[in-house]
Amino acid sequence: MTATASGQAPASLRHALHETWADRPGLIGWLMSVDHKSIGKRYVITAFAFFLLGGLEAAVMRMQLARPENHVVGPDLYDQLFTMHGTTMMFLFAVPVMTAMGLYLVPLMIGSRDVAFPRLNAYGYYAYLIGGLFLYTGFFLGSGPDAGWFAYTPLSGPEFGIGKRMDIWAQTVTFTEIAGIIAAIEIIVTVFKQRAPGMSLNRMPLFVWSMLVMAFMILFAMPWIAVDSQFLAMDRLMQTQFFNQAEGGDALLWQHLFWFFGHPEVYIIFIPALGYVSTIISTFTRREVFGYPAMVGALIVTGFLGFALWVHHMFVTSIPQIGESFFTAASAMIAIPTGVQFFCWIATIWEGRPRFQTPFLFMLGFFLVFIIGGLSGVMVASVPFDSQVHDTFFIVAHLHYVLIGGAVFPLWGAFYYWFPKFTGRMLGETLGRWNFALFFIGVNVAFFPMHLLGLHGMPRRVYTYIAETGWGSLNLLATLGAVTIAISVIVFLVNVARTLAARPNAPDDPWETSSTLEWAVSSPPPPYNFAELPVVEGRYALWDRSAVQPVVTGLRTDQRELLITTLLDAEPDHRHRTPEPTIWPLLAALATGTTFIALVYTPWAMVIGAVLIAAPLVAWGWPRPRPGDPIVAGGAS
Amino acid sequence: MSRERAASVDVSALPSAAFGHRAITWWGTLGFMTAEGLTLVVCVVAYIYVQRNFPRWPPPGTLLPSITIPLIQLAVMLLSIPAMAWTSRAARRLDLRGARVGMVLSGIFAVAFCVLRWFEFRALNTRWDSTAYGSAAWAVLVAHSTLLVTQVFESSTMAAILYLGPVEPKHFGDVDDSCLYWYFLTGGWILLSLLVFFSPRLHQ
Amino acid sequence: MAGGPGGHETQVGLVAAAGWLQSALRPAGPDATRIYGLWVFMLWISAAVLLVVIGALLYGTFRRRRSRPDSDQQHTRQRRMTRAVATGAGVTVVILFAFLVFDFSVGRALGAPRRSGFEIELVGHRWWWEVRYLAPALPARVTTANEIHIPAGAPVLVRLKSNDVIHSLWVPDLTGKRDLIPGKRTSLWLQADTPGVYRGQCAEFCGQQHAKMALLVVADTRAGFDQWYASQLAPSAVPTDSVTMQGRQVFLTYACALCHTVRGTPAAASLGPDLTHLASRRTIGAGALDNNRGNLAGWILDAQSIKPGVDMPPNHLEPDEAQALLAYLETLK
Repeated sequence: MTATASGQAPASLRHALHETWADRPGLIGWLMSVDHKSIGKRYVITAFAFFLLGGLEAAVMRMQLARPENHVVGPDLYDQLFTMHGTTMMFLFAVPVMTAMGLYLVPLMIGSRDVAFPRLNAYGYYAYLIGGLFLYTGFFLGSGPDAGWFAYTPLSGPEFGIGKRMDIWAQTVTFTEIAGIIAAIEIIVTVFKQRAPGMSLNRMPLFVWSMLVMAFMILFAMPWIAVDSQFLAMDRLMQTQFFNQAEGGDALLWQHLFWFFGHPEVYIIFIPALGYVSTIISTFTRREVFGYPAMVGALIVTGFLGFALWVHHMFVTSIPQIGESFFTAASAMIAIPTGVQFFCWIATIWEGRPRFQTPFLFMLGFFLVFIIGGLSGVMVASVPFDSQVHDTFFIVAHLHYVLIGGAVFPLWGAFYYWFPKFTGRMLGETLGRWNFALFFIGVNVAFFPMHLLGLHGMPRRVYTYIAETGWGSLNLLATLGAVTIAISVIVFLVNVARTLAARPNAPDDPWETSSTLEWAVSSPPPPYNFAELPVVEGRYALWDRSAVQPVVTGLRTDQRELLITTLLDAEPDHRHRTPEPTIWPLLAALATGTTFIALVYTPWAMVIGAVLIAAPLVAWGWPRPRPGDPIVAGGAS
Repeated sequence: MSRERAASVDVSALPSAAFGHRAITWWGTLGFMTAEGLTLVVCVVAYIYVQRNFPRWPPPGTLLPSITIPLIQLAVMLLSIPAMAWTSRAARRLDLRGARVGMVLSGIFAVAFCVLRWFEFRALNTRWDSTAYGSAAWAVLVAHSTLLVTQVFESSTMAAILYLGPVEPKHFGDVDDSCLYWYFLTGGWILLSLLVFFSPRLHQ
Repeated sequence: MAGGPGGHETQVGLVAAAGWLQSALRPAGPDATRIYGLWVFMLWISAAVLLVVIGALLYGTFRRRRSRPDSDQQHTRQRRMTRAVATGAGVTVVILFAFLVFDFSVGRALGAPRRSGFEIELVGHRWWWEVRYLAPALPARVTTANEIHIPAGAPVLVRLKSNDVIHSLWVPDLTGKRDLIPGKRTSLWLQADTPGVYRGQCAEFCGQQHAKMALLVVADTRAGFDQWYASQLAPSAVPTDSVTMQGRQVFLTYACALCHTVRGTPAAASLGPDLTHLASRRTIGAGALDNNRGNLAGWILDAQSIKPGVDMPPNHLEPDEAQALLAYLETLK
């Protein structure tokens, strides 16, 4: 192996770049940061904090259901708990954590110095943070949403949804979805236009492909829920009639719009995880992933098919039979691209030499757990069978097998894999194995019995049940599984705390067999990522590079410049001046957040908000050239 | 191994700004147009979906929308498109005067759209809280109006920068992108206007 | 809680067979039986797929590896792997095709037209079920609550309505579920093979007491059903002694009559369940409690402690008034 790109660069170059790209010191510098790595890390940590909160909510629910006629919580709090659990896990954890991993890793993996719009990126993060905090403030003040994360009208509407509970929910959802859309645009443009020279589309790492497909899905799915929840908010606040059947509105309109977002949402969470799987498997088997074109094709096909399935959430609402058949076939068909990817991974492992470190163990867990969720997924594509298990614990089991198997196992593997890159420290291997083993056992013990509970008649979202139903012992078992999961999460937290207390120990590539560009720079990476941008010579950038890594020279060191390349072949096109750190995205997010919070109470917030947001936006965009910038005209300086 | 070997690349001679699909701001604009366009699409879907719940369209007891103001709005919008095409060409020539005039012009047009929009709301002849028909029609207009207000902000800020601020080469790119957005804004409205103001007449 | 007069064996009006009160894996009607067949088919296929894939994965992971193959061997192995992956994809397609064929055939059978002797209108309320037997196929309309009586062996069309939020009717032993959606017409066929009592439950989250919105489907012989129907057609029992007379007076002067109907008395409100034949029903509070005197007393005095959020208010009655009311209600067979 050759010296790394960062190692080759002279100290003077690195010093100059550091001067240009480093954040300002102190708290204000921290708040002004537009570095994709700082923002990405904050995103991951915030999303993980929400994961813990959502997990606590689940734990309380499992305590309540452990015995028949239990009295841990009453129905009102129970309804808030499962609504908060779903909303948190879907809107505040799963999607943000996936985009966050992309925002941190994509620029590094494609050999760039930052995302396309760094200030907008910071704005998106703060918008997400404010939205999440607002929802939880409402919850802790007794105004937690209580109509389910799917918020079906009319239960969530003006007539039955009490207080401001669902208004807070609706505004939070719209606001955090805006953050999601921003992250998607960042990722798409960064991937399209900022790949290092030589990284043509057909050489892009599978991780980057999966992030690209996810970003497109977000862009096309999120606007639906953003507008849908505004319809709900307006129905509640301004007496519009979108979902009021008495005035020609339609309860099913909500469901169509919701699931047109809601089903792709599942793939938005699942597809980036496929990118982690491909990356980690290839590193830990020391093999190129088998069938790259098939893998890319499968990702794209899955992305498209994800938009053709939404009605399978509505099979019991009386859909015309021809429609049912179409959506059944489409739902079953999505098993084909997923199957192809599975077979390709198995072929990769078969041909490779697996190394059983924690990230790889989580990949094995992903296979074993996800395949069960995938099989039950094909089952519920059947309209007759779905009519039995829809809205029962069978579906709870299915969706947790899919989402935990398909997303959380890979994510956990990804935490272990990229933790040294994020922090410069390797997570402990022994605790990692305990973490994995407990999680794997816990997930199966918690969720497998739920299949049976659903088949034996237990509906979802019930706060209690009578002993005669016979559901008691399986529920107790599921609760024991949940306890095991909780212990495994605690083991993870201990592992993280111990590791962070230790001294940095990670070299550029602690795994020694990684293939993607982020492992060519120090751990953690310097503010400018690459002292000299690499020129990429193959699909597996670090495996395919020459003895002397060719690099890009000629980017300015006294200004923040990105190299923009062409869309298909990544040929150098022009240099792009990217903006300095600034406080205005934070202030603009605060102004927008204030507007959305005020919208809970009055529609006039729209008008006040427009004025409130305009000021920080002008300051944000107003040019402040630095010495040496080309000026066409004007300016007091 | 038969892999071709790449050489190091010197990019110091490359330009520091670009137009159109070469520039990342163009792609960013396209991204936001997609997201905002979809919000309009959702409103249209709602508008069409609730139609089947009414025996007549507009619902019994509701007047047809008036079309005088919408026609004027359409005419003004069509008029603005060549003006913005001219601005786009000026920006690509790096013609500062042209860009300034174009942005002022776009600001005036955007304000005019907003004023006309005020009367368009009244031309709907229904309230947002009357029926689902009223709600959906208002939603289409409100969704598009937020884009109009954004455009007033965008045009005036750009004009201010071009006249008052230090102008950098990238600002010509911004002007060019704002013309792209303009086509989306006006072209989108032509379709929405046909749906909300004119299509109800076809049901008569 | 000791059973009252004629007390039932369990708290919910029926014996839990094979340990489960309601189950899709114990089909007792033609529709549930068809779905059960589909389930068994899918279960075995899935088990086979799971075994093969996990087996391949584990073997591929843990198999013993020889020294690195040379490039010639690598070439053949690459070809072999490609064939294996392609075969896997092909088998996936074949399995999915078989699944679709079976699934569509079951779907068609469930959707096949049938003839109903009569129709039932089921209205979902938060949180109970209003059951209306629609004339003219039957002699006259009957309204009851939380209990659907049908003749065994014959299909009955249930028309589903809701005036508040979305509910879902699910009687897993008999068939799959169907939503009750405000402003929409939906319907479901109920058919039981043999006489018996089958429990169902609301399956679409409908608010605080979604958990306690159950109902019973009582399938009887045709003769038994006709007899039941005739008894339901009759107006309410007329009090014969002073205690029940006082009880009726309590019913009519306190809040009861503001929400409930007892046919044959001035009480004709329809916010709550029709109580004309309350004593003939197996449960109270939509399956929340067994219908006996103790439970009924608890329900009347403080329903909120049993089913928090329910519309039934707490009632403050003197002990003798309460006893009289209970005595009267028990006559409403």
